[in-house]
Amino acid sequence: MLRTVATRLGVLVLMLFGLVCITFVVSNVAPSDPAALAAGPDATRDMVETVRREYGLDRPLPQQFVRYVTDLAQLKLGRAIQTGNDVSDDLARYFPATAELVLLSTGFAVLVGVPLGMASAVRRNAWFDHATRILAVSGVALPAFCAALLLQLVFSVVLGWLPTSGQLSVATAPPPAVTGMILFDALWARDLATFREALGYAVLPAFVLSLPSIAAIVRVNRAEMIEVLGADYVTAARAHGVSPWRVIGWLALKNAMLPTLAMIGLRLGWTLGSSFLVETVFDWPGIGLYAVSSALASDFKPVMGVTLCMGATVMLCNLLIDLAYAWLDPRTSAA
Amino acid sequence: MKRRDFLAVTAAGALGARTLGASLPAQAFERVGDRRTLVFSGGQPVPVLDPHVRYDWSTRMMQQSIYDALAKYEGNPAMVVPWLAESWDTSADGLTWTFHLVGNAKFHNGDPVDAEAVRYSFERALKLNKGVAWMLKAYLDPSGIAAVDARTVKITLTQPYGAFLSFIPLWYIVNPKQVIANTVADDYGQKFLTDGDAGSGPFKIRRWDGQAVMALDAVADYWKGWSMPEAERPAGVIYRVIREPTPRKAALQRGEIDMVTEMTPDDYDQLAKMPGIVVTDDVGMTPFTIQMNTQKGPTADLNFRKALAYAFDYDSLLQIENGAAKLLDSPFPNAMTGHVAIKDFPRRNLDKAKAYLAKTPYAKGGIALDYTYVAGLEVERRIGLALLESLQPLGIKINVVAQPWPTLVARGAKPETASDLVAVYVTPVSPDPDVLAAQYASTALGQFWAMHQLSDKTLDAMVASARSEIDPKKRLEKYAAIQQRIVDLQPCIFGMLEDRKWAMRTYVKGFQYCPVRLTGEADLYAVYAAQA
Repeated sequence: MLRTVATRLGVLVLMLFGLVCITFVVSNVAPSDPAALAAGPDATRDMVETVRREYGLDRPLPQQFVRYVTDLAQLKLGRAIQTGNDVSDDLARYFPATAELVLLSTGFAVLVGVPLGMASAVRRNAWFDHATRILAVSGVALPAFCAALLLQLVFSVVLGWLPTSGQLSVATAPPPAVTGMILFDALWARDLATFREALGYAVLPAFVLSLPSIAAIVRVNRAEMIEVLGADYVTAARAHGVSPWRVIGWLALKNAMLPTLAMIGLRLGWTLGSSFLVETVFDWPGIGLYAVSSALASDFKPVMGVTLCMGATVMLCNLLIDLAYAWLDPRTSAA
Repeated sequence: MKRRDFLAVTAAGALGARTLGASLPAQAFERVGDRRTLVFSGGQPVPVLDPHVRYDWSTRMMQQSIYDALAKYEGNPAMVVPWLAESWDTSADGLTWTFHLVGNAKFHNGDPVDAEAVRYSFERALKLNKGVAWMLKAYLDPSGIAAVDARTVKITLTQPYGAFLSFIPLWYIVNPKQVIANTVADDYGQKFLTDGDAGSGPFKIRRWDGQAVMALDAVADYWKGWSMPEAERPAGVIYRVIREPTPRKAALQRGEIDMVTEMTPDDYDQLAKMPGIVVTDDVGMTPFTIQMNTQKGPTADLNFRKALAYAFDYDSLLQIENGAAKLLDSPFPNAMTGHVAIKDFPRRNLDKAKAYLAKTPYAKGGIALDYTYVAGLEVERRIGLALLESLQPLGIKINVVAQPWPTLVARGAKPETASDLVAVYVTPVSPDPDVLAAQYASTALGQFWAMHQLSDKTLDAMVASARSEIDPKKRLEKYAAIQQRIVDLQPCIFGMLEDRKWAMRTYVKGFQYCPVRLTGEADLYAVYAAQA
């Protein structure tokens, strides 16, 4: 197992280097001048050059690349032109909000998707099954920005139950930072009022972000459950008088969860990527919003930093899922 | 799961959502004791607050709230009024300006605002060579600023500059002691001032996240005092960034915010009809033009440019803006000093358009031009479609091309890569005519408002001459001639002045429109949520 982990970590580093190369090339191919944008529309040529020199953008591209990779080896991600801060500081500031949103939406997806998939398989071809499948198709088909605006309209404007955007009321001071995730920090500080308020702000964006994952999990889980429920060992268990709840909720679900787990791992990466759009619509102060703001200003160090951060997170998640997979089905680790 | 269970789960979810929402405020303004904190929202963040490094509308709005300058813009038309300087005088040759400071101004940490602070701030802005530096750097050397005594600052220009005073309200004064104490590795305190406070303005920072929420506390004993009755004095103000107009509109409707800007014309119209909300409407100072590449392609031909200018349907602009706009009658906006309405300013006249086109190699049309606009700006896209329709009688096709702002600016910097036609809004930073005249001089080439690529020696000489003129009457005459010259060269289809609007709750009082403020910028010092 240790050897597998070490090999996978080695591959991960190589993949990250590939990601650095691609993002660097793509960033510099784009026809834009970040120094001119940062200097402002009125800036004279020498003012633009001042900014260019300050951020090392006056050097040849190969030199900039070598410098970037050297800094990266020391875990330095460069300075953002827009904020003037180190990208690593900005990422440390914004990543917890994204992590919170992604974890919450994944939690939603699992809590809603798995039971729906199970129930749908058990009630196969009944009205509930049809309704669930329609929901699954809609979840994939509905663009996130569309769902976000519709839900904002219904729950915020028409019903007035939930806030439109943001992470916390402007009047509420965030709890002392432990993880940087407001929900966790509020719980840690036993500040239930802030926790409840923060949850109110997180519900809509997390739900919108989870919709496609719910749909994917429902479909996979339903299909697997149908297959497993028809297996001989399930029939044998039923014949031996094992209770239906135990057959469905334990025997069948445990085996049906293997592909579902792999799906959850894959969806994590997708969810991280989709957070760009959801964070922008809901003004959720995470790295997605940070990357969008930076990209609009052609500030590429933050964009590269976010890409690396997301790439590393997705790769690590996939590694963990692989390990969990091996734990659930030891045959896979031998392969 | 039975149908009953399914319905129960759905109902529980809805109840949960409602329960979570129950803790939300019924109105936006926050109460601090018996005072209120107003919540303002726009779509643009404030990543760098440093007044000598960056400015745009949202940044300047926050800088104006936290810092003071020697003078300030107020009113409509915009007037330069004394602020940290209670008076000033200038020498006959226009080279020396002496500012006399008020005696009671103090920074938020209690230090007095003195002449040395003014000298340091001007020197810092010039040496950093960022942000506001372009306004004065050609006329002012750091050695030309002197603190004569604690309350007198003397500024000596290297050559006369008629627009000098018009920039003074944009040069904010920082506390040198705080900046020096927080300087890291010769950065002139830039890291500290990115989100730090070294000002003397009416508000000080309570909480700062430039990407999302900026909460400011009012300085109760602000040296300049407050314009509203003491009982109405705000506890503070909050600027909340909501990037998309739809949620921003929803937040105002819902009462999460008190005042918004940067909405679409349709949104403003809808908001104006809602109870409890008012929408202001004033003539703006941001000329919209369709700039034509004067150095490349068919638009390099003056007659061709004239043909386009006479073929364009200007009334379509007013329709697109739902009537909330005024057509330009000069390259300069009406609120600008020295504006004159140009006689025979181009309006749609197809006979004239065809006559001009006949003088070009494209008399029968049959060509296609690119019209480029900033991706996502719906008004600019619709103007492109209006242009497309306008030019059909001339047999000219238009490709409406959306480009991200950075790409558009980068491509527009050179005649070879600049589009044939580009939609451009430019808000002048001061009402002095030099600011706009300079946008048509060849020294502006490479900047986004010079995507017309105009290079005319006569015009360059006229702009240089007007710039150094200090006699007010002669200046106006020179700028009138410049306006005529620009129209004669027709580097743009001169479009309109979009109305400037803000939507706010009816209890928001004190808002004062001043055309020289940028896009969505409001003077937060004056507004408050009224108690009654």
